[in-house]
Amino acid sequence: MLSERDLLSRVQRLTVTRLRVWVSQGLIKPADAAAQSYSEADLARATLICDLEDDLGFAEEDVPVLLNLIDQIHGLRAELKVLLTALEELPPDLRATVRLQITRSRDPGTR
Amino acid sequence: MADDLYSVLGVAKTAKADDIAKAYRKLAKKLHPDLNPGDKAAEEKFKKITAAYDILGDEDKRGRYDRGEIDASGQETPQQRYYREYAGGAEGARYRSSAGFEDIGAFSDLFGDMFAERGGMRGGGRRFSMRGQDAQYRLDVEFLDAVNGTKTRLTLPDGGTLDVTIPPGVSDGQVLRLKGKGGPGLGEGRPGDALIEIRVRPHSVFTREGNDIVVEVPITIDEAVLGSKVEVPTIGGRVSVTVPPGANTGQTLRLKGRGVKAKGGAGDQLVKLSVMLPEQIDEDLKSFAEKWRSSHPYDPRRKLKEQA
Repeated sequence: MLSERDLLSRVQRLTVTRLRVWVSQGLIKPADAAAQSYSEADLARATLICDLEDDLGFAEEDVPVLLNLIDQIHGLRAELKVLLTALEELPPDLRATVRLQITRSRDPGTR
Repeated sequence: MADDLYSVLGVAKTAKADDIAKAYRKLAKKLHPDLNPGDKAAEEKFKKITAAYDILGDEDKRGRYDRGEIDASGQETPQQRYYREYAGGAEGARYRSSAGFEDIGAFSDLFGDMFAERGGMRGGGRRFSMRGQDAQYRLDVEFLDAVNGTKTRLTLPDGGTLDVTIPPGVSDGQVLRLKGKGGPGLGEGRPGDALIEIRVRPHSVFTREGNDIVVEVPITIDEAVLGSKVEVPTIGGRVSVTVPPGANTGQTLRLKGRGVKAKGGAGDQLVKLSVMLPEQIDEDLKSFAEKWRSSHPYDPRRKLKEQA
C-alpha cells in the first residue's frame, strides 16, 4: 500500500490538489479509503489521468467522460472473459454447438 | 530503433515545436494503451511515438539529435505501468462499470442470470440495477369460464402458484399481464411481469363470433310450419325462444344481450335454425308429401338456375 505522499513522489506530474480533486470526484478511489492509502492500480490510474490531461491535451471536464467509457470497456472485457472461460470448460460437442450458434447470430442471412 | 524520429511523428525536420506537439497529441490520442486495451500493436506504436516525442519535444535533446550527438534510442524512459494492466484484475474491480449491460441482459436469459449472480456476489463497484425478466405462461381455459370470467390458480414450473383472475369475455390468444409477478429485479430494478397467454378450449355447442355467441338449434317440420316455443341453451342457462310460423333452415333468431358481457355492452346470442326431418319417414308423411307435391309445386332452386 502507498500513502498519499508515496503516490505523489512516484507520479511527478501529480500535485496534492489534483489528486484530492480526483478523489472527491470519485475518479480515484483509494484502495483503503479510511487510511487514505493507495494501491499500484490507483497509481496507474492517476498516471493515466495525468496522461489524458497533460500529454493528450484532453480538457479537465472531458476526463470523467473518458474514464467512464474506459471503465465500461473493462467491465465488458471482464464479463466477456468470464463468459469465455466458462465456455472453455464445456465438453467439445457443446462448444461446437455454441460456435455454430455464434456464427449464425453474427450473420443471420446465411441460415 | 533506426527509424527517423521525424517520420515516426510524421512531421518535417523543419517543423516548429508547436507542430511537433500537435502531431504527437494526435497520434497519442489514437494509440494510448489505456484507450486501446488489449491492442498490442497500438502499444508498440505508442512507445515509438512517445520515445520520439521525448527527444523531439525537448528543445535541447532535439538539438543534440539533429547534430547526431544522440541516436533515436538515446533516451530510454522508465517503463510506465499502464492502468489497463490492473483494470482487468481484482484491483480494477472497484472501477469497472457494468452500466452498459441493461439492454444486453434484457434480451438474453443467459446474461440476465449471469448478472443476477454478480449483483448478489459483489457489493463493491457501481450499483447495477435491472428490471426483472418477464415470465411467460400459457393457460388453457374452458369456453364458459372464458366467457363468464373465473378465478383460477396456475401452477408454475418451479412449484409455486399464481392466482389468476380471468376477466369475463377473455378471448383466445389474449395475453394477461400480471404486474410484478415475473422474475425478481436486480438492485433497484422492479420485478418483471407475468405474461399469461390464454387459450380457450372449444365448446361442443357454442361458438364465438366477436362478442356474439352462435348456437345451431334443430327444429321439427311441424315446429317450422306452425311455429312454437323451444328451449335453447345460452351461456347463462336455458331460455325459451319463440320460433315464428314458417321458420326455415338458415334463419337466425337474435337474442339481444345474451352474448358475451364485454366492456362496451353485451353481445347477442344468434340462434341458427335448421329444420330436421324425423329419422324414420312413416307412411303418413310419405302419402301427405305425395298428395301435397301434386297440388302445391314450389321451386327452392329457382335462384340457382337464374344465377349460375
